Order: sequence, then C-alpha cells, then structure tokens
Amino acid sequence: MKGYFQVKTEDSGNIIDSLHPLELKILFVFQAGKTVDDNVLVTEASIEQSQKDMAIGWLLAKDVLSVDSEVVEKTVTLTETGERYADSKIPELRIFQSIKDNPGYSMADVKGRGDIEPTEISSAIGILKDKGIIRVVPGGKLEIGDESLLSEFEGVQRLVNAVKDKAEIRLSDLPENEQTVIEGLHRKRGKTKGVFRINEKVIRTYSLTELGGKIHPAVLQRGRPVDEISQLTPQMLKDGSWGGKSFRKYNITLPPPRITPGRKHPYKEFLDNVKYKLVAMGFEEMRGGLVENEFWNMDALYMPQFHPARDIHDVYYVKEPRLSKDIEDPFQVKVSETHQSGGETGSRGWKYLFDADKARRLMLRSQGTAVSARTLAGNPKIPGKYFSIARCFRYEQVDATHAQDFFQIEGIVLGEDINFRTLLGLLELFALEVAKAKEMEFFPAYFPFTEPSVELHVRHPRLGWMELGGAGIFRPEVTIPLGVNVPVIAWGLGLDRMAMVALDIHDIRDIFSADLDMIRTKRVQWV
Amino acid sequence: MPTISIKKKDLETLIGLQFSLNDLERHLQLVKGELKGYVAETDEMRVELSDSNRPDLWCCEGIARQIKGKLTGAWKDYEFFYSDGTNKIGQIVVSEDIRDIRPYVGGFAATGIPVDEEMLVQMIQTQEKISEVFGSKRRRISIGIYNLAKIKFPVYYKAVRPEDISFAPLGFDEKMNLQDIVERHPKGETYGEILRGMAKYPILIDSKDNVLSFPPIINSREVGEVKVGDTELFVEVTGIDIRLVLLILNVLAVNLHDRGANINIAEVLYPYETEFGKTICIPNDFTEPLPLPLKDIDKVIGEGIDIEEVITLLDSYGHWVKRAGDELQVTPPPYRDDIMHPVDLCEDIAISRGYSSFNPVMPSQMTVGVLSDAEVFADQIREYIIGSGFQEIISNILTSKEDVLYKMGLEQEKVVEVDNIMSQSYSALRQWLIPSLLRVETASSESFYPHKIFEMGEAAVSDETSNLASRTVIKCAAMMSHPAANFSEIHSILETLMYYLQMDYRLVPGEHPSFIGGRMGWIYTGKDVVGLIGEVHPKALTAWEIHMPCSAFEVDVDKLLEIYQANP
Repeated sequence: MKGYFQVKTEDSGNIIDSLHPLELKILFVFQAGKTVDDNVLVTEASIEQSQKDMAIGWLLAKDVLSVDSEVVEKTVTLTETGERYADSKIPELRIFQSIKDNPGYSMADVKGRGDIEPTEISSAIGILKDKGIIRVVPGGKLEIGDESLLSEFEGVQRLVNAVKDKAEIRLSDLPENEQTVIEGLHRKRGKTKGVFRINEKVIRTYSLTELGGKIHPAVLQRGRPVDEISQLTPQMLKDGSWGGKSFRKYNITLPPPRITPGRKHPYKEFLDNVKYKLVAMGFEEMRGGLVENEFWNMDALYMPQFHPARDIHDVYYVKEPRLSKDIEDPFQVKVSETHQSGGETGSRGWKYLFDADKARRLMLRSQGTAVSARTLAGNPKIPGKYFSIARCFRYEQVDATHAQDFFQIEGIVLGEDINFRTLLGLLELFALEVAKAKEMEFFPAYFPFTEPSVELHVRHPRLGWMELGGAGIFRPEVTIPLGVNVPVIAWGLGLDRMAMVALDIHDIRDIFSADLDMIRTKRVQWV
Repeated sequence: MPTISIKKKDLETLIGLQFSLNDLERHLQLVKGELKGYVAETDEMRVELSDSNRPDLWCCEGIARQIKGKLTGAWKDYEFFYSDGTNKIGQIVVSEDIRDIRPYVGGFAATGIPVDEEMLVQMIQTQEKISEVFGSKRRRISIGIYNLAKIKFPVYYKAVRPEDISFAPLGFDEKMNLQDIVERHPKGETYGEILRGMAKYPILIDSKDNVLSFPPIINSREVGEVKVGDTELFVEVTGIDIRLVLLILNVLAVNLHDRGANINIAEVLYPYETEFGKTICIPNDFTEPLPLPLKDIDKVIGEGIDIEEVITLLDSYGHWVKRAGDELQVTPPPYRDDIMHPVDLCEDIAISRGYSSFNPVMPSQMTVGVLSDAEVFADQIREYIIGSGFQEIISNILTSKEDVLYKMGLEQEKVVEVDNIMSQSYSALRQWLIPSLLRVETASSESFYPHKIFEMGEAAVSDETSNLASRTVIKCAAMMSHPAANFSEIHSILETLMYYLQMDYRLVPGEHPSFIGGRMGWIYTGKDVVGLIGEVHPKALTAWEIHMPCSAFEVDVDKLLEIYQANP
C-alpha cells in the first residue's frame, strides 16, 4: 500500500494506470467544470455507498478530486416498525378493513387478533375513534363512521411504501405536508414506536482538481470500466465467473515489499564453490581437529623445534592440559630420528636433540598442513589427491589484514609421477580453473616442509597480477617417516583476496561480520 | 621472514653492474626475494627474503653475491677459510664453567677497510636480523662487533657471578654489574629472560681485564662501540649450537670480505669436546660434500638435464661440484648450512636455470573426487534450514569464556583456553554455537525483523579421555528473534529438519541457565542427547545487551550423523 501512494503527481500516465475500477467509475460521473455531490455519485456511478466512500478517499489523497462544499442533509428511512407496515399496512387501515369486512366485529375480536401488537391496537382504535372514522356501539361492537376521513391514513401508507421503494428519501424532495407527516411519525407516538427515521448527513460536493482535469479526458477515452477483476479468486476459477471480464491493470513499476530470504553466507558460498571445484578436479576431502599437538602441526612437517615460527609469539598454545597423552607409534621415533640425524630419509637431519615433551605440547592448529600430515600417516591412497578447508589460528595482532582465525585451503597429491614439472602442471590447473587466469608465473619460494617450493602468481581477469598460492614437493624427511614412499605435492591456495574483492570488503574481519544487515544485503559475483 | 632495507646503489656497487628496477625484481628470484618498495629520493629498496634457512641472503652483500655469481660467473675464493695460520689474530680461551650456560663462541678480525656510513648501517641491520629471527631473539646465537684496536688477546670466554664484574654497557656512562644490567638496562629487560635461573652469566673479557661484552645482552661501551672511520674490527658470535655459531661467523666474514676487508682468523680453545674438536679456527668451512646421483635430479625435476648443464647450474649458484661418472659430489659454500638432502640441490638447479624454463606437465593419474560424509551431511542440513528461511552466519571460533560461558549463565563447563593470551577477546575456543548467533543479534538490532539466522561450524569440546584432551565437533545452531519469538516456532524448524533427516527425536524438559525454565528441552534420539532447544533466558539476553526475544536450538551434527548412519 505504501508504494501506492508514492506515485508522483506529475506523472499522469502512471496515475491512470494505478486507478482502481471504483475510482474510474466515479471519475466517469464528472464533467469538466461541473461539480458532483455524494448522492449523485452513488446513483450515477452505480456503486455502493461504502465503495464510494473508499474510492473518494483515494482520489482525494491523490489530489485528483477536491471538496467544493459541504451541506447537512436530512433523509428519511424506515424504522423496523415502518418496514413491517410497508409489508402489511399500518394498523389503522387493517383494523378499519376488518370492521368493514366483518359486521358485528367487536372490541374483543380486535384485541384477540394476534397480528397486531396490543399497544398498537389500543393506539389505532383510539385514533380512529377520535377522528370519527369508527364508533363503538353498545355491546362492544364496532361500526364504520366517516369513511372519507380515512384518506389521511391511506396517505401515510403511501408514504411508507414510497420510502420502502427507494430505501432512503431526501426530506427536502417531499411536499411539505408529507414532510409534516413524517416529522410527526418519526418520534415515538404514545407507546408505539416510530415509523420513519430522519437521518442527518453531510453531503459533499466535489470537482476535478487541476491534476484531475488533466487526466479526466484520458479516463473517459478508456471507456467505462465494466466489472474488472482485481484479484482472481479460487471461486472465480471454480464457477468460471472470470470469463468475459477483464483484469485490472497493475502499475507493475512500483517497488515490491521487502522480504528476507533464507540464504547461504556469501563467504561460505565462496568456499562451497571452491570445494565443489576441487572435488571436480578429483580431490578427496580430509578433515582434522582445531586443537593439535606440535608433533602433527610442526615436527611431522620437519620444522625443527627451534624454528622461528614455533614461538609463543607465533602460535597459540593450550593452557590446560599442556601436553597430549602420547604420540602415535611409530611416528614419534621415526620423526625424531629424522630431525636428529635424517633417519632413513637420506638426509643429514637438523642435528639437534629432539624434545619429545615439546612434541606433545598442545596448541591451536596454525596451518592446514597439519591435516595433510595426519592424512599421510593414515595410509593414504596412491595415487591420491586430497584437500581440506581448515580453520587455523595465529598469534597475530588483529587488524584489517589479520584475523585471529581464518580458513586455509590446501592439500596434497601423491603419486609416482609427481615431480617439479607435474607440480607446475597442477598449479597451472589451479590458475586456469580457480582464477580463470591464462597468464601465470612461477617463483622460487620457501616453505619449511617442501623442496623444491614454488609460488604461483596469476593474472586474474579482474584483479590483475596476484599471488594465488604456494606449493612444493614434500621433503623426503616429511613423507618417509610417515610411511609414504612416493613423492607428494603439498599445495595451498590463498583465495581470500579474490573472495574479498568478490564480496567488496576491505577488512578481513568483515568476513566473520556480526552485522546481519551487511550479511543479508551482500551481493557477490563469483564467475 | 625478514624484510631488509638496502640501497640500490650499494647493491649495484657490490655486484659491479647496474640494473633497472624491473631487472632487479627478476634477479631477486635467485634469492627468493620480493621487492616490497623502492624510494627514489633515498635510493632505498625494501626486500623481503623468504628463505628462513639462508641467513646469508638477509643482507645486501648476500643478495649481491648470489646475483653476481649467476650473472658473471665470478665467485670469490675466500681463501681465509683455508689459512695456514700466518694471519692469526689471537686466541679465544673458553672456560669449563660456561659449558652449561652458553657453551660456544667464535670470532675473527676484519682489517684494512675504513668503516663507512652505509657499511655500518648494513652491518647493524644484518646483526639484528640474524640474531632476532635466525637466532630466536638472541637465545640461539648473538653477535658482537668491536673495535679491534682496543682488545688485547687472548680473549677469555667464561662464566662469572653476576655481582663479581662491573663495566659500563653501551648507552650508559656508569659501571654496572651484570645483575644491574639485566634489571636496569633496556637490553637486559628484553633479553634477560635467556639467562633466567642461571647462577653465573657469560662474559667476554680480554687479557687486560677489559670487558668486551656480556653475551647475549650488551657490549661494553669502551670496546664494543664501532664508529664510522674505524679500520679494524673484531667480530664474535656466541650461542648454544656450534653449527649456527660457525655458520653465522662465516656469513659475517664473507660479507666483510666482499666489502674489501682482510679477514684474520682467531683460534678458539675449548676445555671440552665439540662436534668440531677442541681447537677450532674461525672462520671455519665445516661444510661437507654431498653425493648427487643424476637420476635423483631427473626424478625430482621430471626431465633429464645434461650433466654438464647441471654442473654449470650448480657452479653458477655458488656450489663446488666434482664429477665422478654419473654421480656428482657437491660441496655447498661455507656460508650455507641448508643443504641437508639432494632435493635441496635439485631446487638450486631449478632456481639457477629459472622456473620459467620448465614446461608444466599435468599429473595424469586418475583419482576420484569426493567430500567427506560429515560435509555432505552438514550441507544437507544447511539446505533444509536455508529452505526454512534462515540466513547463514559464519563466526570466529576463537572467542572468550565471557561469551561462551559467563554471558550464557554458565560457570563450570570446561573449555579449551589459550595459554599465551594476546587479548581476552580471543582466549578460548567455543564449545557451542548459540553464543555466536547472539553475538550477531547484539550487533543487528537495527536490521529488519524478524531475524532468522543459523550457523553450521566447528567447536572444540573438552574431553579428558581423548589424546588431545578435546574433540572437534561440527555443530549447527539456529535462532529466531523478533517481538513474538517463542519456543513453538523454533520447535517447528527442528521438527521439519528431523522429519527430512528421517530421524525420530523427542524433547525432554530440562533446566539450563541459558534458557527460560519450563521452556527448555534436551533433544534426544534414542538414548542419546543430540542437542538442546529453548527460549533464551532474559538474563542471557541482558548480558548480551539484546532487547528482543530469542528462541534457538543447537544440535551436534557429528552425533546425528553417527546415529543417521547406524540406522539405515
């Protein structure tokens, strides 16, 4: 409804389109420069009083009509008693008729009849007697007196019937004598109830406004609306009454009401797309825990225990308990040997004393590669391709580019055919499929657990040159202690920049925003 | 990893060539470096170095050395590594009592070059980056540089009681004992932690009882201050790992030599055995040759590279290569200790040839892509709840006890807490998700009502019986919020969800401080509690500063899946 009144007044075409059939019916009654009052409207427009009131209200609000004048008008309607008299005549006439038709008709006969109320009987008999139209003779019998005087009551009856016919008559339309009769009978007369009701109402006179005058010719030109359907109903369909009728035209350019649909979170939608894409490329999903020990998060990845990134200023440690119960056999022994001396891997190792307690230290997972490490140790498929979208935590000051927790998208590829060139081939696939980039460049990179290591830069169709991900071939010091004897690619995709551009956000904290309005209204372009 | 500032001119002088910025950017690939910025007015380049095992590259000299070697083939011989002892500057004598404190030391002298402004700046930057990042904030190694002229050899490295020795440290005029320095000197406050609990502290002192420094805290003001114009330096490294001590001394020696200094060796005399014996000459080439079979290169790279080309590529990258049939013996330069396995040499070969010279090959073996059952099941539930008109939310998992316990009226429940807290707001992992939804409601009172939101995500549930003392569980919570939000409408959502999952459930009335009494229930399937539902208690809403009724439910999706799969 709100939009309905938002129509701009200068747009007359719009107004005509928006007019309800009732409004059109009313406008048809008007002529340029002439006024029309309420009474004329009801009769000429052939609509009901209540419909007229509603439609007039709309037209006034739209500034199509204006009110010229108001007068108070009296009208006459029948009371319940009057309605009864219209159906079966007034008591005076009925009693007179009975006397005339039944010689010897007595007072007792009159009082015994059940079709007239006792109070009406005594009142009617009294009047008829007073006027001398009937007489009471000894023995209680009733006789006709001066019959000519009865015409007064016949006049009342005609008036009752006339009001009944029209339902409502303007008092001023009646001759003065009839007005007197009505005024006499509208009050309570003795104990009887009134016959007529006199109503006072405001009659307004309307004329077309300037805007009304402007649109009026077009309204006339369109022709009188005949039974337009506004809402198609089940009943119309059942009985076919819609047939042959036209449907009211809507102003379909109005804004619709707002709804709030059920919807994926836009960033989750992005991650879903990535996940389906990876599955389509033959990757199997792997999952891991939010809490890890240092062994799986770092030791198993051949990050030495003195590595600069293994510090209270880099990762979050768990308060209590501090240590995991144990480290799965045989990995603890094999990994610690590898760190110390290379173990069975052909490496000379890091050459330091491995601390088994430090390996058990509980922490919040700081890299998705921890999930890969556990997959390697869990008898993976060969050839095999795996991915995870893992929530990770870093000890970093939270700001526009650093969040306290974030998603890492990464995985592994195992197979006899894995080498530096197939590593580049996989990255090329990511560039083409994930970033739709045809231009790419490979840079030497460093990750503690891969050698060789590569950084992938791509020319994104919209974002220009950007770093898309990092990858490498797991060092033998990682794979062999975990029981894997084929080369393994480890890869990670950095898609947050793409996501943030698609989401039009400039602060990484907004990815997990609590602002419902922002989440609801965010629009994204993924392809 | 470190970002350093260098002057482009200085780099070009050291290389002996001039470059456009674009060319330099490309050459930086040789050192895994990225140009982060260049200011023309000051000629200053900011370069980020990513290889944490190559501290030799974290300085202008190292970058220049790698690029120059590749472009010109000219590598210096660094003959001082193989000195016959004629240029020995003196001895460093180590005491037995330092063994359990900070057991290793080494030093050398650099002579015959006036220290200029840029050299001093670079020297200090290198010292800082290496001891901070590579040296784990001076714990593993620390570096001291001195005016050689003020030192009388032999120099003694020993342990002393903190009160027994006093000297004026850099930055102070007064003499302070070692305890004072740890407590009052800014460097003592920063690095004193390294010596905590030790009865004695390390000291370097010369034959005239002049203190050189109090490693790893601070140099003496008298001996340990290097100025522009000095021509003779003494460089010393102490630490807890002898390989690192030797490596960093080698890096510093070649850096100074690259700037034209003569390097004079020093001899360290240990009373105890070390990996390299009791008497060690510094600088010391401790690297060993590594066999590199040609077939290993083929396997790692994925294409056969001619042996002559391999030799050239390694040679121009700084290695010393000897050929024996189809096997190569490769000795890394003495300033590198990162070659642990033949794969490390394979990467050097690839970098030396340039990554762009290799053609990518698509991995060809067939694999099947598949999501985990948990993910498929979770997505199924997400679809149903979204279809019921709910907006999905994602929240941080690292939050606080305030949010997941106290605001919810909970006290006793155990959650996974962070030990090294940076901010109380990020100090505990959530164990349930309804607080995450209330967080959204708190921030969204201006957003068009009704609010129907849900989240599917992970939480960490404490579990003393599990190896990691907690389990990661996928949970799903849904919440409605509007002026007439009530139990029955959120129950309808749960009912609909469980209908489509084909799971029978029943609600058992219960008590929970987060919910209004008599309007809360536990969700059961069979004998298992799988979740809870209720109207959120006004106390909880007030704690969250929410002025709108909320009703919510939460289910354990992993548990639902377990039951779902057990009942086909």
